[in-house]
Amino acid sequence: MNGLKFFVGNILPYIAFVVFLTGMTYRIYTWLKMSSPIITLYPVPKGSSTSAVIKEVLLFPSLFKTDKVFWGGAWIFHVMLVFIFIGHFRVVTDFPWLWNLLGMNKEAVDTMSMTSGGIAGLIIMITVIYLIFRRVGVQKVREISGFGDYIVMFLILAILLTGNAMRFFQHFDLSETRVYFAGLVAFTNPQMPANGLFVLHFFLAQMMIVFIPFSKILHLGGIFFTQTILKRG
Amino acid sequence: MTEYNNIKSKVVDSIKAMKKGPLPMRIYMETCVKCGTCAEVCPVYYGSNEKSLNPAERSDLIRRVYKKHSTISGKIFGGLVGAKDFDGDDIDKWAKEFYECTACRRCAVFCPMEIDNSVLTRKARTILDSIGKTPETLMRVIEVSLKTGNTDNAPPVALTEATSFMEEEILEETGVEVKMPVDEVGVDYFLVPPSGDVLVNPESMMGIAKVFHVTGDSWTLSSRAFDGANYGLFTGSDNDMKEDNKLYVEEAKRLKVKTMMMGECGHAHRIMKFIMEKNKWWGDLPFEISNILQYTAYHIQKGTFKFDKSLVPEPVTYHDPCNFGRSCGIIEEPRIIMRAACEDFREMYPNRGENWCCGGGGGLSAMDTIIDFRMNVSGKKKVEQVLATGAKYVASPCSNCKRQFMQLMEYHKLDIGTGGLHDLVNRSIILDGQKKSV
Repeated sequence: MNGLKFFVGNILPYIAFVVFLTGMTYRIYTWLKMSSPIITLYPVPKGSSTSAVIKEVLLFPSLFKTDKVFWGGAWIFHVMLVFIFIGHFRVVTDFPWLWNLLGMNKEAVDTMSMTSGGIAGLIIMITVIYLIFRRVGVQKVREISGFGDYIVMFLILAILLTGNAMRFFQHFDLSETRVYFAGLVAFTNPQMPANGLFVLHFFLAQMMIVFIPFSKILHLGGIFFTQTILKRG
Repeated sequence: MTEYNNIKSKVVDSIKAMKKGPLPMRIYMETCVKCGTCAEVCPVYYGSNEKSLNPAERSDLIRRVYKKHSTISGKIFGGLVGAKDFDGDDIDKWAKEFYECTACRRCAVFCPMEIDNSVLTRKARTILDSIGKTPETLMRVIEVSLKTGNTDNAPPVALTEATSFMEEEILEETGVEVKMPVDEVGVDYFLVPPSGDVLVNPESMMGIAKVFHVTGDSWTLSSRAFDGANYGLFTGSDNDMKEDNKLYVEEAKRLKVKTMMMGECGHAHRIMKFIMEKNKWWGDLPFEISNILQYTAYHIQKGTFKFDKSLVPEPVTYHDPCNFGRSCGIIEEPRIIMRAACEDFREMYPNRGENWCCGGGGGLSAMDTIIDFRMNVSGKKKVEQVLATGAKYVASPCSNCKRQFMQLMEYHKLDIGTGGLHDLVNRSIILDGQKKSV
């Protein structure tokens, strides 16, 4: 048990980091150096192709045109992911200079993160459950779904469940995690916080990070390239 | 067995090579999120909700083999991550299913990743071609085209007979002598129509002849190169495509023309302008490449022509061929022509870049072996779309679309005319000195 905890808390983070970084670097490097035939799709968007790609990445307009409900689910899901990702900066370290700048004390910051993080955590749960139901319930999606599609969804669901449980059902002191992450960065072999939910949450999150370069989640980088192929003048 | 092993290694090697690019080949293997949007917008899947017609599923036929042979996860986890080796049954499955995609690129318009499944369809057809599995009909079209320079197996005299006939027709109808020059050297425009517009539906060519008559620009047809159709695009064979194209470029050089003017044929224009010229197949060209739709629309806007719209009184609609619209961006020009030549022009919805395929794209239109599929499945949406406009004529500047439309109307017993754009111009353009129409 201790050996396992040591692996999750003190070895896996480095593996995950290296795998993610080399995996993504390799992908992006190969995409960048590859030639592409000119297969522009007309009519070409108004304005520059860069701004069209950015608009597509930020707002999913092509999805909006097809299926508004799915667009809503998918878009809110991704926006919440970004929020939650940013929110997790506080888990790793604190930003006293920022709070000073905003004139917020510790209680105000905690309340803010509790409220916004809590809401985001709940909304994203709803969207993930919707996306899972859509995958299972809609024929044209179900028939093209494989194990890889489901595992990603359930992995995310499990990460969200453990994350939300920590937030709503137990008080968890972020100073513990900050000390721990600082130790990881400084290679001082720190003790992982002894909270069972945290260990599980952190383990699953690392699994996902390892998954990214090898699974469909790769689209988070790929979209910039696929969009650019057809949006050149 | 050894034959099968040969086929298999050819297929697998071609798919493995996709790892080296070009970019779409590789990244389309890695970024599909299986959201189902392509199925939602696909004309074929709309016609029949079968798994094998789902675009993502069809592309997965390639993806599975790619994962099996070219990815770490596929090598380790196999079927768990969707990897599967190519096996004996797949040969016929591929040969059937990759010719059930019309390569219309509508999926690419709506895909959130903007994955263009037509690229993968063509790749699969390239592989099929290399193992001798191109549908016989298309193979024959290519053989004929490479031998005679046109897809109708017509000798040079067929063209001159057709042009004399059309000249007489115009003279009889209008009282005006309109020339259709053949093999003239040193003219401005070398017109490259699809052979169907010369041999089968002459109204379109007559319209074009009248257009040139009014503008006064010099032009010519070629008696050995009068069919821009090039099926190498559809069978995935770059060699055949290049071979078929060669004659046209040589002919344009021989005739010393300023501009090669493509006719009402979407894929022919795409190959000349966007594939041959952009990739510099034959180096720098001593002529430009343009299209008759752009030419006529330009002169309409300049006010060169006189039309009597009352000669085309019935409601007409316009179908954007996938190759002219989505692939070449010739989108507003046809509408300029329609508005000028017809009294009651109606858009169908959606249109332009989002238009639904006629159901005969990607070479399918030439395949009567799958006529029921084309009429009931891939063309289903199109019929609904046309009916919703209430139009009595569908204009489409593409021989493949025209054939599909003609068959659709016949098959479904609909009283709706079909044809090209210059057919309408032919009916309503008024030539100087023209006798009163009857």
